[in-house]
Amino acid sequence: MSKEKNFIEFSKPFIDAAKNVFETMVFTKLSPQKPMIKKDNVSKGDVSAVLGLSGEMTKDGTAIPYRAMLVISWPYETYFKVSSAMLMDTFTEFNDEIADVGGEICNMIMGNAKRELNGMGYSSNMAIPSMIEGAAHNIKYPNGTVVILIPITSAHGDMYIEICYTEGD
Amino acid sequence: MSLKANMKILVIDDMATMRKIIKNMLTQIGFKNITEADDGSTAWPMIQDALKSPEPYEFIVSDWNMPQMSGLDLLKNVRDTEELKKLPFLMITAEAEQGNVVIAVKAGVSNFIVKPFSAAVLKEKIEKIFN
Repeated sequence: MSKEKNFIEFSKPFIDAAKNVFETMVFTKLSPQKPMIKKDNVSKGDVSAVLGLSGEMTKDGTAIPYRAMLVISWPYETYFKVSSAMLMDTFTEFNDEIADVGGEICNMIMGNAKRELNGMGYSSNMAIPSMIEGAAHNIKYPNGTVVILIPITSAHGDMYIEICYTEGD
Repeated sequence: MSLKANMKILVIDDMATMRKIIKNMLTQIGFKNITEADDGSTAWPMIQDALKSPEPYEFIVSDWNMPQMSGLDLLKNVRDTEELKKLPFLMITAEAEQGNVVIAVKAGVSNFIVKPFSAAVLKEKIEKIFN
């Protein structure tokens, strides 16, 4: 299977997991839009949760190392609405109370996706999610990775899921 | 053991967001006496101190992955203590790997819940533990 096909196969569990997490914990349905290749390091949102992942993909008895990253970015307004729904409170500004909401969402998505990835032959070691906040912040993707950007619409507003992936050491 | 609204519950998670969500859900279910801890290492002395008091904890809800002391190590400490061998302990995890479930069951977990989960699922798990 080609690297591109592996990437497409690798991305699907994250979208399924994101839909599940948002429906269960944020009480909203996600509508993923057409994916596109991202060509710069600038975040589309104001708040981003970033989680690195590495491991081995085993296909037909051959194990290939891979590196990947999951990024979820929200414009401030969306982030406040998502945080308000999840924490059953009202938030209109970024503060300590909602600083780790994105990280927890990212964690749950990765945990859910990992289960499906294991079934597809991917072993995976999750890092701890980190948060970046501020308009037009930069995201440092692992060297040599291609980044796919998936715009998402929801009742709470737009958001963006980014998945990057590369095979080899 | 039966469910009572003033049951003393300790919620342990290193993420403040998750502690708040679990606390909200427990409140929705009807519980009123909920304390929080941000790691297994801060929870363990709280559990030990409460054991010496007239009001020991009656139910532990703990995350699995925490930086200082994991939920699994906390569970092992609890089960290694004679007076706490039967303390109801619900483990919460982001990963639903079969291996983890087996490890937690062997260590004496009362039940297991995988994120994401709703208040209805949490209630169901609690009822299974106490009924």
